[in-house]
Amino acid sequence: MAEPFEPKIVAFVCNWCTYAGADLAGTSRTKYETNVRIIRFPCTGRIDFMLLIKAFQNGADGIIVSGCHPNDCHYTSGNFHARRRWIVFKSMLDFMGFPTERITFSWVSAAEGKKWAELVNETTDSVRALGPFTEYKNLDFTTFNQMDHEAIAR
Amino acid sequence: MELKLLSTSDIAVFVDGLLKAGKVVVAPVLKQSGKVFFKPVQSFAEVATDYIQTAFSAKEVVFPKVEELFTYQHNEDGSLDIKDQLDRIPETVVWGLRPCDAAGFDYLNQFFLKENPDVYFKARYDKTTLVTVSCSKCDESCFCTSVDSHPGDTKGSDILLTAMDGKCYVEVITDNGLALINSAKELFTSTDTLSKEAFLAKPATHFSMDEIKDKIQYAYASAEWKHASMGCYSCGACAFACPTCTCFDIQDEGTQDHGKRVRCWDACGMSQFTKHASGHNPRNTQTERRRQRLMHKFKYSVENLGVVSCVGCGRCIRVCPSHLNIFENILSVMN
Amino acid sequence: MQDKAAELLKNGTVNLLIGFSEDLGKRPVPCFIETAEEANILVFNQECKNNLSVYLHKKEVKDAVKIGLVSNIATLRSVMQLLSENQLWSLTITYLTVNTAGALVVLSSAEELEAYVQANFPTCRAEDKEMLDKLNAMTRAERWAYWKDQLSECVKCYACRAVCPMCYCTVCTTECNQPQWIKTSAETSGNFEYHTMRAMHLGGRCINCGECGRICPAGIPVHLLTAQMNLEIEQEFGGKTGWSLKSEYAMNSFKPGDKENFIK
Repeated sequence: MAEPFEPKIVAFVCNWCTYAGADLAGTSRTKYETNVRIIRFPCTGRIDFMLLIKAFQNGADGIIVSGCHPNDCHYTSGNFHARRRWIVFKSMLDFMGFPTERITFSWVSAAEGKKWAELVNETTDSVRALGPFTEYKNLDFTTFNQMDHEAIAR
Repeated sequence: MELKLLSTSDIAVFVDGLLKAGKVVVAPVLKQSGKVFFKPVQSFAEVATDYIQTAFSAKEVVFPKVEELFTYQHNEDGSLDIKDQLDRIPETVVWGLRPCDAAGFDYLNQFFLKENPDVYFKARYDKTTLVTVSCSKCDESCFCTSVDSHPGDTKGSDILLTAMDGKCYVEVITDNGLALINSAKELFTSTDTLSKEAFLAKPATHFSMDEIKDKIQYAYASAEWKHASMGCYSCGACAFACPTCTCFDIQDEGTQDHGKRVRCWDACGMSQFTKHASGHNPRNTQTERRRQRLMHKFKYSVENLGVVSCVGCGRCIRVCPSHLNIFENILSVMN
Repeated sequence: MQDKAAELLKNGTVNLLIGFSEDLGKRPVPCFIETAEEANILVFNQECKNNLSVYLHKKEVKDAVKIGLVSNIATLRSVMQLLSENQLWSLTITYLTVNTAGALVVLSSAEELEAYVQANFPTCRAEDKEMLDKLNAMTRAERWAYWKDQLSECVKCYACRAVCPMCYCTVCTTECNQPQWIKTSAETSGNFEYHTMRAMHLGGRCINCGECGRICPAGIPVHLLTAQMNLEIEQEFGGKTGWSLKSEYAMNSFKPGDKENFIK
């Protein structure tokens, strides 16, 4: 009787490129999946990896991180710093066994409304296929009392 | 108190029987790291037997490192559900405690239940039976004989086993212990002579509690505290490994919509422990924090609860990255 | 070493010497001596693994200003990294170490230290390399199971953070509660978050002394997280940690050609 699973996708985007691109998708009346919740940052360079972790902690099933193309950053080099951070963070998560296919990184410019819509659709489809991120919720399994198992199931 | 005998080969039968009867059995288990921890087991075969002391104490059974006090949920109709787990705690047997650990449970009992009983602790403690095994060996970090205990002490236990050749003495100390024995009566034979001294370890005695009670009142002003605390890294390892450390923090985790309140361990050695909202910290240096820890163990708990809260298990010395030594420190500040 | 230490304390070059002495169980433990007479308690051998540079952040040590530091190679590299991060400007440090030939070496300036470290730079420890290879050969799901099993033991004592010379923030992110980034309780998900956070903050700064994993009371090999991070960072971006007075922090800089193959 449960509703079919619809993933919660959180998108961390930069104000000058990707957010504008998403706006363009809207003004162009491009239809795309509604699972995404967009969070606007001045620049991808502002995105701290702890924000991504917090999104998963609060129930996100998938994440999109998107900003200006290299050399197009409104603040010159913010996206270069972000790129380094993502390279390291992705490999860190992979080493810990985290399903990194739940996080999608991309460059979407202000003119790429169509790309934004495609990105959201692709990500939603792939996360829907992966299913809810129960492995993360099931981490909290202390073994002393059966009641803790039930707390987790809740 | 009743005295029985159990043959060594029947220990596994007894424990597996408890598991079959649906009890949760928590016993020492050897992990990949080479350290031994108290964990729930599915059969006696998992229980570690050749070790001196576990890395952490068994206090988690009655005082978990993370304890959900209650959950809350706002419903669509505006009502609020608050739920706790107090009536869903299973019958638990802790197997393989050391006498120092059992003495630790005795202290926890005094601390949590004496005045204004802690309902969460009580709910777990009332469902727990403690089966202790006497120590046949010890290392240089053990000092139970300095704190009013010894390797064959029954304090705090429901049952105390002392292994001999091929069989064990079974001292049944409480009604809880008797109930457990009676669930497998056929494995036990009666006896009336107890001579376990020869099978007990002989840890070095560094001081006596009488000596401490006499001199500790002058220790507060000792210049040695600075020296005793210089190596301290201000982590919580000693407090978390200790069978009697009870400091906790209460945190709310959740949103306006739903969430939970948890109790988790805290440590007086950590630098922010006594920091006030104003920014003032009455124990601003590690010297003051170490002094507080030791004075609490050897003086304040004796004054407040009548029980010394150090049981001489030596875990704090073993887990400390600096191997800070609690009994050496006590001796130096008293002199 | 005892004689040199006594000499430095006597002639005032050093006010406080941090070294190792032996406890009742013959284990080397950190010791802090202020007079020449105490120098005879000093020991130094392969078992002296503690990274004593972490004490350089301690208020009582900072107040003494002129410090003597008995160091193994990891300690010297940590100091190099701290110097490159400009954390030790208020201290004058004399380093006492023993080289591979067993001879005492005394380093009295940052330049001497840099020369010594670069001439004696250690390779990745064999046992760490073995564990990293083993973990990298596992499937991702196996790694998840491994870290879940390990990190469920974590009690959030923060001993790993306390012994790390690079964790010198006066207010750590874990202590921020507006908002609460990292859960304070020792739930496994919070433990994952904490250790990921710590490894990320140490990426490109950790010198792989391995102390965090060695002293963990729960026996969790947390040093492998930062060891893996550093391996990746060195492979992708070049540069070594604890190498030079002017180390470039990999996470503070970038190259236009950084790898992009996973970005859509």
